[in-house]
Amino acid sequence: MTTVTRRILTIVAAAMGLSFSTVHPETARAVDAPGPVPSAQDQTCLACHGQEGMSRTFGKNDSVSLHVNGKAFAGSVHGPLGCAACHADVDLANHPGAGKSFDSSRAFSIARAAVCSQCHEDKAKLFEGSVHARALRTGNLAAPVCTDCHGAHAVVRKTPAANDVACRKCHGAIFDAYLQSPHGKAYGKPGPVKAPICADCHRAHDVSPASTGTGLRDACLHCHTGAVEAHQKWLPNTKLHLQVVSCPACHAPTSQKRVDLRLYDPVTKLDVTAKQEQARLDGPAGVGASSGALDSKALWDLMRGVNRDGTPGRMTLVGRLEVRSGVEAHQLTDKSKAIRDCVVCHRKGADPFKNVTISIIGPDGRPIRYEAKQDVLHGPTSVEALSSFYAIGGTRIGILDVLLALVLLAGISAPVAHLVLRRLLRKKQAAQKRAIGESE
Amino acid sequence: MHKLYVHPLPVRIWHWINALGFVLLILSGLQIRYSGAVQLMSFANAVQTHNVLGGVLILNYFVWLLFYLFSDKIRVYHPELNPAKYFRGSLRQLWYYGYGIFKGQPNPHHVSVYRKFNPLQSMTYQVVMILLVPIQFYTGVLLWDVNRFAASIQLFGGVRVVDSVHVVLFIFFIGFILIHPYLASLGHTSMAHFKAMITGYEEVEDEPGRGRPR
Repeated sequence: MTTVTRRILTIVAAAMGLSFSTVHPETARAVDAPGPVPSAQDQTCLACHGQEGMSRTFGKNDSVSLHVNGKAFAGSVHGPLGCAACHADVDLANHPGAGKSFDSSRAFSIARAAVCSQCHEDKAKLFEGSVHARALRTGNLAAPVCTDCHGAHAVVRKTPAANDVACRKCHGAIFDAYLQSPHGKAYGKPGPVKAPICADCHRAHDVSPASTGTGLRDACLHCHTGAVEAHQKWLPNTKLHLQVVSCPACHAPTSQKRVDLRLYDPVTKLDVTAKQEQARLDGPAGVGASSGALDSKALWDLMRGVNRDGTPGRMTLVGRLEVRSGVEAHQLTDKSKAIRDCVVCHRKGADPFKNVTISIIGPDGRPIRYEAKQDVLHGPTSVEALSSFYAIGGTRIGILDVLLALVLLAGISAPVAHLVLRRLLRKKQAAQKRAIGESE
Repeated sequence: MHKLYVHPLPVRIWHWINALGFVLLILSGLQIRYSGAVQLMSFANAVQTHNVLGGVLILNYFVWLLFYLFSDKIRVYHPELNPAKYFRGSLRQLWYYGYGIFKGQPNPHHVSVYRKFNPLQSMTYQVVMILLVPIQFYTGVLLWDVNRFAASIQLFGGVRVVDSVHVVLFIFFIGFILIHPYLASLGHTSMAHFKAMITGYEEVEDEPGRGRPR
């Protein structure tokens, strides 16, 4: 049987609702074309779905392509499995029927992607905990599912060349910044060390928000194994710095920084996600109390409310110095250009402390940030409200500066005044001493 | 006038190391806290200097502590247990510094081997040496390695609380360092007490009861 004859028969059979289920896939494959070709069973599907322009419409200007490139599918990692492996729900007797209805093409695509978990249970489980999955659960249909990164039919095992990376579809500006960084420039080049791409730092499936947890710092230290020791040579309290200062804050030296104060539960050792705390921050005691940005009094009241009597444990605000945007976080430079001058942060009025946010973890796993005024770092109430965050010089409490000025004034002026008075009255003192001497 | 040996060698060594150390700690502390406004040295050098000096002074503190713990000289720090007597003596000393000294009246306190401090000094030095200096050292050690001592810092109430205590005491010691040398210059000559802290011998009046205020 020639290939042409086989294809004609396939189309006819498909039209009749039949399939070549009795034909062994291996023998059914075409032999005259280079590379894998669809199995005979898949040819049945491709009789229709192989046609360019085949699509399903969901509404005005909303459709999804149902066209499948047969050769590309056959060459994909799923090629040997065939169409039915993922589309087992298709009832050939009634196909194409009305099928399940969807509000949009995106909803359809998301629903279809759920089939991946049938085989890739481990990856699906990881994905379920990711920021992308949580965004989906909270109704953000733009969040990616399996097929957005791996493709629907031409499924690839791993991310291909940097320029084609799936993340770029949504995070284009960040990806462009990455390409200009030492990592981006070195990616794909031969050498003893492989430069990282998105998934190497952010992980492939259990993608967590960049500013939560220790994942990103751990990712840096995973490759830069000597970094801790290198910092210890010149940076006091190295471990503390690595905890509270994000790597890009120094290694993207031109970036704008901010202090993020995250509500944290020391008992569970987790960032706070409670909805009631979000309501508190949104409410009149939160940003509403201070015209959009929390001041030190409002923050103090807020923390007293959070830790009111009867609350188990004592929540606190954990501070972290980070860059303000994802783009800037990827504008990394060569380490010789990284910030090493301590005074960039450890002085009054330092730029990083001009931008302050209070944050809690939102339902989608990403931080919800609330603007705060600079004085939350410097006010006397910060001793209680912000007991776990302090940067020498940069966040010093103003009233202690006043106290120091008063002590200096008194400590200098009192002895000087005492000395001057003694000198002015020295004749009287001498007379008195003489009188005492004579009386004895 | 006769000479009295009131400052044993270990005390003098401790005192001058402590004095120099505290001055340098204050200077490096000012540099650390007021970087940008103060330009004595780089921030990194100030931190390094502050840490090293802190360690030296902690060791030095034990010179003072061990000497007095294992010497009968500890009697100079014995508190006056009669409150009325104590407050009377303190008021008399305050009256002297604030009024009598300008009139040429004699110092109401007369130094002896086991009573080298006047009532004001006695109270101040007990609080300083037994309470404030140890707290300052303790908070300094906690801030030296915040991660290592995270549990203690948490117990204290957080790093900002620890730092605030350290800074308040830092301000107190600045005041102390400014006032202390001036008060030390109020001996029978302006250098008498300074010389005594070098030689160990104080020059005291031959007749201790002489010139008490009426």
